[in-house]
Amino acid sequence: MIEVQNLCKSYGGNLAIQSLNFKVQKGEVVGFLGPNGAGKSTTMKIITGFMAPTSGKAVIGGVDVFEDPIAVKKRIGYLPETPPVYGDMLVTDYLCYVAELKGVPSAKIQSHVSDAIEKTQLGSVHKRLIQNLSKGFRQRVGIAQALVSDPEVLILDEPTVGLDPKQVSEIRDLIRKLKGHHTIILSTHILPEVQATCERIIIINQGQIVAQDTLSNLAHLQTGTRKVHLKLKKPSGDMAQSLMKLGGVLKVQCGPSPQEWLLETTEGEDVVEVIAAAVMQMGWGLLEITSVRADLEDIFLKLTYGAQA
Amino acid sequence: MNAIFAITKKETKGFFLSPNYYVVAFLCTAIFSWVYPNVLNKFAQALATFTMQPDMPKQQLNIHYQVFLPQLNILNLFLIFVIPALTMKLFAEEKKMRTFDLLLTSPISSIQIVTGKFLAVMAAIFGLCFLSFLYPAATAVFTKLNWASLIIAFLGIFLVGGVYAAMDLFASSLTESAVVAYVMAVMLNMAVWFVGIGVDIADSPIARQIFEHIALNQHLVGLVEGTIRTNSLVFIFSLIFLFCFLCERVVESSRWRS
Repeated sequence: MIEVQNLCKSYGGNLAIQSLNFKVQKGEVVGFLGPNGAGKSTTMKIITGFMAPTSGKAVIGGVDVFEDPIAVKKRIGYLPETPPVYGDMLVTDYLCYVAELKGVPSAKIQSHVSDAIEKTQLGSVHKRLIQNLSKGFRQRVGIAQALVSDPEVLILDEPTVGLDPKQVSEIRDLIRKLKGHHTIILSTHILPEVQATCERIIIINQGQIVAQDTLSNLAHLQTGTRKVHLKLKKPSGDMAQSLMKLGGVLKVQCGPSPQEWLLETTEGEDVVEVIAAAVMQMGWGLLEITSVRADLEDIFLKLTYGAQA
Repeated sequence: MNAIFAITKKETKGFFLSPNYYVVAFLCTAIFSWVYPNVLNKFAQALATFTMQPDMPKQQLNIHYQVFLPQLNILNLFLIFVIPALTMKLFAEEKKMRTFDLLLTSPISSIQIVTGKFLAVMAAIFGLCFLSFLYPAATAVFTKLNWASLIIAFLGIFLVGGVYAAMDLFASSLTESAVVAYVMAVMLNMAVWFVGIGVDIADSPIARQIFEHIALNQHLVGLVEGTIRTNSLVFIFSLIFLFCFLCERVVESSRWRS
C-alpha cells in the first residue's frame, strides 16, 4: 500500500532523513519510533504530499505522491503534530468543512461527520467552539478530522499527545478497531503505545532506519543476555562476590534498595534455577525472583542511543 | 469546484460572523454618515447660488462629480487600510496556527485555495461597497439620479477593491505574522495609490501617459463618469490576475521549499 524508496530530505544542508526504504502492506498498523528530531515527522509530511523530498519517491496505492498528489491526498487522512483546527469554528462545522475539502460527496458528509464524532467520542462537545476545548479534546478533533473522509491510509503523528490515560487507552482501542480497514502509520516516542497497537515497528534514528521488523522479532534481537531481579530479606555483605561465582552470572548490581539486586546473566533458563538454589542455600531469605526478558525499551535505547552510550 | 466553494463559504462565514467585520462596517457607516451629508449640503448650496454665477463650470453642477466622486475617493482611501485587515489572517494565520497543513494535505490545488479565499474577500468588500452605496441611493429621494452611471461607479470601486484584495492576499501569503502581512499590504496599496500622483507631477507627456495608464485612480474616474473602458477593465483584471497568480505560486512553493 505504501512504498518508500530511497527517500532523502535535507533542510539547507542538514540531512533530516537519508535513503529511507520501507513498505507497508494494506491493513497493517506500523509504528514509527525514534527520538526527537529523528525525522519521523519529516517522513510523514513527505508521504502525505505536504512537502517534497530532496530525492527518492513515495508511492501510495501504486500512485507516486508527486506525480499525482491530488489522487494520493484523497486516500490519506493525516493528523499533523499540531492538530490543524480553526479556533473560531464549531466542531461539527469544522468536520463538515474538512469533509468537503477532502472531496466527500455532499450526500454522505453528514453521515461521515457523525461517524467520526462517534468514533472519537466528541458527542458531548460537538456544538462548541474549538478554541474553548481542552488540549485533549482538540487532539481528538484532530483525529476525527483525519478519519472524516474514511481514508484508506491514516497517518497519525503522535496521536495520543496531550490526552489523559483513559483517553489514551480509548484512542489505542480505536486504532486497534481501525486495523484491517485502514492502513495506519503512527509515530510516537511512547513505547507502550507501539506495543499496544502496532504489528510492525520501524525504528528511525538520525534520519536512518536502524531496525524494521515485527514486535516479536525485535524482542529476540537482543539475544545473549537476560536480566534477573532479586529481592532478599537479609542480604549479606559478600553477596555480590558469591553470586558472581555462579556460572552464567555476568554482572551484579545493587537495586533501588539494599534488599533489591539486579543480575545480568546469560540467556538460558537454567541460570535462574542456579541462582534460586544458591540464594536458598546461603539462607538470604528469598522474597522475590523475576526474570526479565530484554524489552522494547532496551532495544530502542540500544538502537538509538547505543552508539553514543 | 466544490473545494473552492467550501473554502469561500468557510471564509465568508468567518468574515460575516466575526465582530471585527462589524467594527469595520460601523467605521465605514460612521465616516459616511458624517462626511456625506456635509458634502451633499455644500453641493446644494452651490446649486442655490448657481444663478448668481452664470460662468460656473458645468462639472460643478453635476452631483456625480461633486458628491459621488469625493465619496468614492474616501471609500477608496478607506479600503486601502481596511482590506489588509480583512486579508491579513487568511494565509498568515493559517500558517501560524498550522491549519495550512490541512489545506496542503487536502486533495485540492493551490489555485483552488487562492481562488476560494479571494472570492471570500470579494464578498466582504461587496458588503462594504453595498453599505456605501446606500448613501447615494438614499439621495434619490431628493433628486433624480442617473442610476446606470452610479452603479458603474460602484462597480468600479468594487473592482479596485478586488485589486487591493489580490495584492493583500499575496502579502499575507508571504509571512506567518498577521501584523507583518498588514503592514506589507498597506504599503502595496499605498504604492498603487501614489502612482496616481505621478500623473500630476510628471513633466514629459510620455511619462504622464504611462502614469495615466497605470494609475488606478484614473481608471476609477473613468468609471465614475459612467464609461466602461475596456483598457480599464483589462488593466484591473490583469492586476488581479497577476497578484492572485503570485499568491498561488507562493502557496505552491511551500510544497517544495524547505
